[in-house]
Amino acid sequence: MILNLQHHITRLIWISIILLVVLFIAFSLGLSIGPTHSGIRSAFSALFATNESDSILYSIVWRIRFPRVLLAAVVGATLSLGGLVFQALLRNPLAEPFILGISGGSAIGAIIGILLGLSRFPGICFTSFLGSLGTLALILVMSTGKSILRKDALLLSGVMVNAFCSAIIMFLVSITQDARLHNIIFWLMGDLSAADLPQVVILGAILIPCFMMVFVFSHAMNLLMMGKDMARTMGLNIKAVTLTLLIVTSFMVSATVSFSGLVGFVGLVIPHLLRLVLGPDHRSLVPACLFGGAAYLVLCDLLARTLPQQGEMPAGVVTALIGAPLFIILLKKSRK
Amino acid sequence: MILKIIASSISTITILLASGLPLTAKTAEDQLGREIRVPDDPKRIVALAPSITEIIFALGQQGRLKGTTQFSNYPAEAAQLPKVGSYVRLDLERIVALNPDLCIAIKDGNPKAIIDRLQSLNIPVFAVNPRNLESLLQTIQKIGGILNASAKAKTLVEDMQSRMQQVDDLVSRIERRPRVFIQIGISPIISAGSNTFIDELIVRAGGINVAAGKSAYPHFSREQVLALAPDVLIVTTMARSGAFEKAKADWSRLSHMPAVRKKRIYMVNSDLFDRPSPRLFDALEILTRLLHPQLFEGGS
Repeated sequence: MILNLQHHITRLIWISIILLVVLFIAFSLGLSIGPTHSGIRSAFSALFATNESDSILYSIVWRIRFPRVLLAAVVGATLSLGGLVFQALLRNPLAEPFILGISGGSAIGAIIGILLGLSRFPGICFTSFLGSLGTLALILVMSTGKSILRKDALLLSGVMVNAFCSAIIMFLVSITQDARLHNIIFWLMGDLSAADLPQVVILGAILIPCFMMVFVFSHAMNLLMMGKDMARTMGLNIKAVTLTLLIVTSFMVSATVSFSGLVGFVGLVIPHLLRLVLGPDHRSLVPACLFGGAAYLVLCDLLARTLPQQGEMPAGVVTALIGAPLFIILLKKSRK
Repeated sequence: MILKIIASSISTITILLASGLPLTAKTAEDQLGREIRVPDDPKRIVALAPSITEIIFALGQQGRLKGTTQFSNYPAEAAQLPKVGSYVRLDLERIVALNPDLCIAIKDGNPKAIIDRLQSLNIPVFAVNPRNLESLLQTIQKIGGILNASAKAKTLVEDMQSRMQQVDDLVSRIERRPRVFIQIGISPIISAGSNTFIDELIVRAGGINVAAGKSAYPHFSREQVLALAPDVLIVTTMARSGAFEKAKADWSRLSHMPAVRKKRIYMVNSDLFDRPSPRLFDALEILTRLLHPQLFEGGS
């Protein structure tokens, strides 16, 4: 048992180191590449410069790109962890905050918060959380009994919840002339461009305890994956664990949605990819999803910033272009 | 690693904050009533809207202009300047890369988040807020003031005031005000309601804006427009291929509408009508001619 634990810890450390290196590379690329100053070498030198020999480049790299890359990392980590948790709790490989409609509910809450003129902290964050709890409750009611565990039922309820959410969002947008909603379409597609360092730091400070909490529950998720009866015999309080995890995850997701809008499919792509490589043990998957998801969204956002000739596109466009086809493949596979 | 990055970036931010202030600066009150420190002689200006670019060119200060937004197409020279995104979706990185010593922003349209970020990066942002023709004249004078072109601004404004007076004099002679519907969006049909430049132009040019109401940019169905019975229907367009012809053909089928019966469906250049720039006075004259052609018969 002790040997097993020791083996597990070494494995955990190795996985973390490798993924941190990947994350570091993603960070460096994200900081060095942008619409201006195309020379990667000069940007790289700005990364490690300590004086202001080229203060414009310095400000661009550290004060414009850095908050954005950091936000992408935090959002990516949260969403992929969110996907992992929902997949474990609902025992359904297709569960993901965006597909379930949790993100949509948060978006409704956030828009209401914006219209009420609330500040981002704690106002919009809170209304967004209420919105996500609302859709969560709706999903749980729709799936009373065991039907949510079947893929088709889950997908159907997700489609319905999402359609309902987007109808409410369009309703709110059309009844208001509010100039604050000018960029709403971009925001709905997942927009990271408004990143501002102090706010990203606050977001990180809110989310890190949530990450730790999920990590504490990672063994419980392993037991849940073995089935309810098995988990109960192993002495797990299923109700308490499920409820806590659902609420913590909804909170995490809604906090990121209030910042970055709807970035879809990250919670699908990363957990599946990592599960293929690392196996089903959540004790390694939780940290792996954090670092992997962070690196993934940093790279997706990099594409979103650099692909268009004029301006940029929302990061959610890139994640959906990658994620949606994968979703279809997974659905086809799971039908077989 | 991340902690180290954060620490080093915070320390540089403090250094930048301490050293970034321009050497010689004056204080000017912008149109939002904020006291802004602007350089005495700004040389690297980024204009954050097409209308501001037009004002700077009209003041003859284009030499100071280093960047502008997408769709800044007037005068033709402006199209050659580097672009920093569109005015509702500014690209922060491109703005900063131009190393501006002053940005001129417009309240209606420019996202506040980006303006706040620019200021936190020590780039002074002078905001203008033209709400009607009268305050547009103030906008021009304010911009003239910070660009050391007050004299030019004064002649520009006096010229516009006299043109406005001419229109007022002409319009005072009319007997009947036609009902006007200006269509600024084709699908869906969008018009301009009260408290918009277009509403002011219609009223000044001697018409009744049938879209006036509490909403600034109301949407209409075809049926509602028919019920408003406009005598004149004007479509603003960016001269995109065939858009006006199609809109005109669609309206022409509704032969009950007075504007259709009298064959008074016109197209105007939308850039003239939706930018708070000096060209808005061209728009006023064009509109007066369209609404009251009889005033211009024989003369001028």
